[in-house]
Amino acid sequence: MNLILKKDQLNHLLNAWRQDYEVYAPQSLENFTHFLPLQDGFELAFDKAHNTRIPPKALFLPTSEALLKFTRFGGYEQVPSETAPRLIFGIRPCDAHAVTMLDTVFEQERYMDPHWVARRDAAVLIGLGCHVPCQTGFCTTVGSGPFNHAGLDAILTDLGEIFLVETLTEKGERLFTQLEIATEEQSTQASEGQQAAAASMPIAFETEWLKEKLDQNFVSPYWEEVSRSCLGCGVCTFLCPTCFCFDIVDEAQRGERVRNWDTCMFRTYSLEASGHNPRPSRVERTRQRLSHKYSYWVDQINQIGCTGCGRCVRYCPVGLDIRAMLRKAHQLPSEVAHAQ
Amino acid sequence: MPNEAQSPYLPIPMHVLHAYYESTDRSLKTLELSFDEPQDAREFFAAFNPGQFCLLSVIGKGEAALGVASAAWEGDFVRFTVQKMGSVTTALHNLKPGDPIGIRGPLGNGFPLENWKGKNLVIIGGGCAFSTLYALTKHLHHPSNRGDYSKMTVIYGTRTSGLCMYKQDIAAWHQRDDMEVHQAVDVPEEDWLHHVGYVPDVVKEVSPSPVNSVAVVCGPPIMTKYTLPALVGLGFTPETIFTSLEKRMKCGVGKCGRCNLGPKYICKDGPVFSLAELNALPADL
Amino acid sequence: MLDLDALMAEAKRVLDEGVVEMVIGFKAGDTPLHPQPAFFTSSEEIDQLAYNALCQNNLATYLTRFPKTQKIGMLVRGCENRSVNALVFEGQHPREGLYLIGIPCEGIIDWRKIVEQTGEEVISVVEQSDNTMLVEARSGYFTLEKHSLLHESCARCIHPNPISADIVIGDLLPEGDPALAREQVAAFADLPVEERHAWFRQEAERCIRCYACREACPMCYCEECFVDHISPRWTESGTTPAGMQGWHIVRAFHQTGRCTSCGACERACPMDIKMTYLTEKLNDDMRRKYNFEVGLDAETPTPFSTVTLDDKSRFVV
Repeated sequence: MNLILKKDQLNHLLNAWRQDYEVYAPQSLENFTHFLPLQDGFELAFDKAHNTRIPPKALFLPTSEALLKFTRFGGYEQVPSETAPRLIFGIRPCDAHAVTMLDTVFEQERYMDPHWVARRDAAVLIGLGCHVPCQTGFCTTVGSGPFNHAGLDAILTDLGEIFLVETLTEKGERLFTQLEIATEEQSTQASEGQQAAAASMPIAFETEWLKEKLDQNFVSPYWEEVSRSCLGCGVCTFLCPTCFCFDIVDEAQRGERVRNWDTCMFRTYSLEASGHNPRPSRVERTRQRLSHKYSYWVDQINQIGCTGCGRCVRYCPVGLDIRAMLRKAHQLPSEVAHAQ
Repeated sequence: MPNEAQSPYLPIPMHVLHAYYESTDRSLKTLELSFDEPQDAREFFAAFNPGQFCLLSVIGKGEAALGVASAAWEGDFVRFTVQKMGSVTTALHNLKPGDPIGIRGPLGNGFPLENWKGKNLVIIGGGCAFSTLYALTKHLHHPSNRGDYSKMTVIYGTRTSGLCMYKQDIAAWHQRDDMEVHQAVDVPEEDWLHHVGYVPDVVKEVSPSPVNSVAVVCGPPIMTKYTLPALVGLGFTPETIFTSLEKRMKCGVGKCGRCNLGPKYICKDGPVFSLAELNALPADL
Repeated sequence: MLDLDALMAEAKRVLDEGVVEMVIGFKAGDTPLHPQPAFFTSSEEIDQLAYNALCQNNLATYLTRFPKTQKIGMLVRGCENRSVNALVFEGQHPREGLYLIGIPCEGIIDWRKIVEQTGEEVISVVEQSDNTMLVEARSGYFTLEKHSLLHESCARCIHPNPISADIVIGDLLPEGDPALAREQVAAFADLPVEERHAWFRQEAERCIRCYACREACPMCYCEECFVDHISPRWTESGTTPAGMQGWHIVRAFHQTGRCTSCGACERACPMDIKMTYLTEKLNDDMRRKYNFEVGLDAETPTPFSTVTLDDKSRFVV
């Protein structure tokens, strides 16, 4: 059902939700925006940038979290999962879509990750579509979009003085019971705006046969070319909404076994105790990063493991642009593409 | 049925039953661990299959992935042989009987024993990676299992005779009439009665028949690299050659991303793969 | 502004004449705010060489990736030249194996300061003159004062000129005023200890441990960084306060007498963490206590790598 939320009522509504939820929304932190819990007198920061610097995956997979607490005499116990209800307001469709991809990792039947599952179950995601899509983003290229519904309980479309609210799940419906119903004109206006937004985004690179080209060129000078200026830091992967790798470390002093974000771009990530490293240089590590997103995810869930948020493009310290890397990849020879 | 609320990161509480050196140079130590709770033992053995591994946990130090080196019928304990490499394995070497320890497992797929029924088994191991093959051999020796399989051939090579693990048992295997055992060392030694040479060469020398056979290879990467083509040369098809892969692991349950190999996670989808499966994966090892 | 043609001609010459096997410089980026470091191995490739004030990396960070036997040409500004000198002193590459093409540097522009004024969506950037930039953004056209966009490290730069380049393209610039650097040090160092600690925590505790600062720094070339060392563990892993503080403190200390104040660490940081207030304090200490400034030549030993028999710290000898 489509509803109308007047912008001047938004803060009132957010405050009302705060009775039942810890409400997270993008707010200013230093120079950028960040999902922070709303406090009294909060100020939203939707105008600052299109997206938060750190993707909201961090709300479900924190940069560091304890898995076990050590007890006396060599014992240990499980750290309880967080189950407090949270409402994530203003999450962009690319980031919400990414969370659903991570669900396929953490919510597998055989090994449920209780920490992830508990936080996900306790969360409601209210999306804000991108009526003016960002420049580094390429969501429409990779099967997402500025008004993609994946992972969202409701999505808002900015119509100037008002938001059009589309509730997408029962959870979402329950949050917007007091609002008036949108007129047909308003709904039409919103859907036209949504389509225009998607249409305004150029196709950043070809995705057809991309996986095959990456697979078949596993050994290729291409990888050295595109990784030559890579510094080997973790910016692209840490700011990526679909990257989920973590390390597990015992912090003896603190008496905890913790998991920390980790990345295939670090040398130590794949370094084995014997000294052998299957990915000894930035060449192999870049190959792993791109192949994981554009080939391995496709094998696993039949979706590209990237939602086109554009953070890696914007914040790479040496200006490496994954879109350009993949355009170049599409020039690589491939048997499949030629056979067609 | 694993309890859903229970974390896959929570180790099963155990303690050290026996700890003894396996090699003369003291680089290998065998730990036999027993369960603190009988319920945990029942659940473990109900799920266990040779070829699987566990994450051994020294609280305050960390975890190390190790293949299980015992068969379920041997008793309510789980055996591991630990090579001293880094800080966790050093901590494992320092454990004494009675010390507490945690394990997570059994993890991974293990050997596809159901599919191997009725076949000749060629078991090829090198170095300390032989531990899971030892578990396999022990499993097959049980009277209720042995009949399910045809001829059994074990080829086991180590750098020196001192590094050979499970010496007493293997010496006894030579006396058995239901299996063939070939041992090898890399360089000649005084009083050594068996093969001398690298495992791939010994495999060619022994030349097991590929007819109605499967071969399983566990060893250091360099040995595996040359043994797989040697088997292909003997006529084994990629579908009948199996190996167990190793890569750095942390979570053991397909979450942390470490052991990612193409679309697979070695911890969850492996560690045992057929050569046919391996050929379809990227050379990222 | 830089005479790009002269720069390209020299880069071509050294490649064509075999003086070097490779020239490290910049090329236009895929996005207007981010020119990219580039590695040119033939004079044809030099046509792609580009340079503007948005070239934010310290190219010397790439030097340690190449064999010491390789003849390398590098475009160097003041700070890069000093970083190269420091690396040569530390034995990371012989000076004979380097050909430094110097450019006097008017300062690096911090792209974040552009987007602060124009919004994130920048379409093109043109350096109009020595003083202004024309920025086309989705929100319109902006003429921005270059000086207001300078990265803080560059605004207080003392040595903008390449100090030991093999050739300098363009006219030398006046030296900067050391008082500016001292002012910045004082702004932090003169605070009461509680306020300094609060400042430090506010910066350090945004860290996500991505190590972009480390990788961007020419002097962070250790094969194994102290944070990656497992036994013993020198600092907590992860984004706990102790872990983040441990990283930032020790990182700064490892730069003592080695940091050339280029600011590449801050420019690489995805969380906009300020780090040079620490390294500048240490640099100031080096100046005052040892009369030492790193990178002015490749021969003078750094005080912390020198031991004399009359060293005050008895434990050293």
